[in-house]
Amino acid sequence: MTLPWTKPARERVSKIDDEVAVGEDLRFQQAWWRFERSVWIFFVLLLALDLAGVFGRGPVANAEARSADGAVDLRYERIERSGTPSVMTVSLAANAVQSPDTAELFVSESIVGALGARRIIPQPAATRVTANGLTYRFPIGGAPARVRIELEPSTPGVFAFELGVPGRPPLRARVLVVP
Amino acid sequence: MGTVLRTIAGYVLLLLTVRVLSRRPGGQLTLYEFVIVFLIGGTVIAATVGDDHSVTNCSMAIITVGLLHRAVSWGKERSSRFAAVIDGTPLVLIRRGEWQNATLRHAHVDAQDIMAAARAKGIASVREIEYAILERNGSISLLVHRGPPE
Repeated sequence: MTLPWTKPARERVSKIDDEVAVGEDLRFQQAWWRFERSVWIFFVLLLALDLAGVFGRGPVANAEARSADGAVDLRYERIERSGTPSVMTVSLAANAVQSPDTAELFVSESIVGALGARRIIPQPAATRVTANGLTYRFPIGGAPARVRIELEPSTPGVFAFELGVPGRPPLRARVLVVP
Repeated sequence: MGTVLRTIAGYVLLLLTVRVLSRRPGGQLTLYEFVIVFLIGGTVIAATVGDDHSVTNCSMAIITVGLLHRAVSWGKERSSRFAAVIDGTPLVLIRRGEWQNATLRHAHVDAQDIMAAARAKGIASVREIEYAILERNGSISLLVHRGPPE
């Protein structure tokens, strides 16, 4: 007896050779195997790009820049990863040093904010808040002086920054932060 | 918010990666497949929760995975095509006593796998098998000849 909430069991799975209900869909499977192959090629490509540094942490990501007057040399990573530490190295030439034992460096707000500056080495002797950023004063033992800024961006995006010696043309660059 | 998005991305990537790995004939994990499970699992966890190990963050990630799993199950019930994308379809490896070589090659199954399944069912020779089917869960179903083998 068929009750109102039941129905007779009918064949819902396709048969092969009209006798075995398997539900094989060979056409779909062949398309899937082609897709599988393209996914593996894509994965290998991704790994190759990663090794090259296209997603940060590799030769493509490393960048250098120099200010127009040669006062500031910068080594940084043009491609960063969010939540991952990196180091930006600023070298100040002799013509950037204000006095024999002091150097000043201006960094835009984006270095402290979006790019997440965590630590500056050497420790600045003084920090001054200026328009659109901060100016640090460092005690130095002579030129060239080297300052390391440890970064750890927290959000993905493209962030422009500038840094330089106060009173001289700043160095401008962009950093792509990938997730 | 970030955890939920990272969890969704991790789930989709993990699903795709595991799906494009071939089905293991026999339906059981071998030791080297355990390595994949633990390594991928650990890596995805690290990327998903990041450096926020709070109960709140981990709870959100767990709930997101649960909801995603439920959504995938719902999609499989509603659409046989979606179910085929997620789980694949059964594959006929031996049909009327004949090896389906193209399918065997693509599914990375060899005669040893089929005979292992056959022996487990007390079948001593491949000539007794009329149909061998690689199921969606990786197990191999065998149907023997109804009459005596040729």
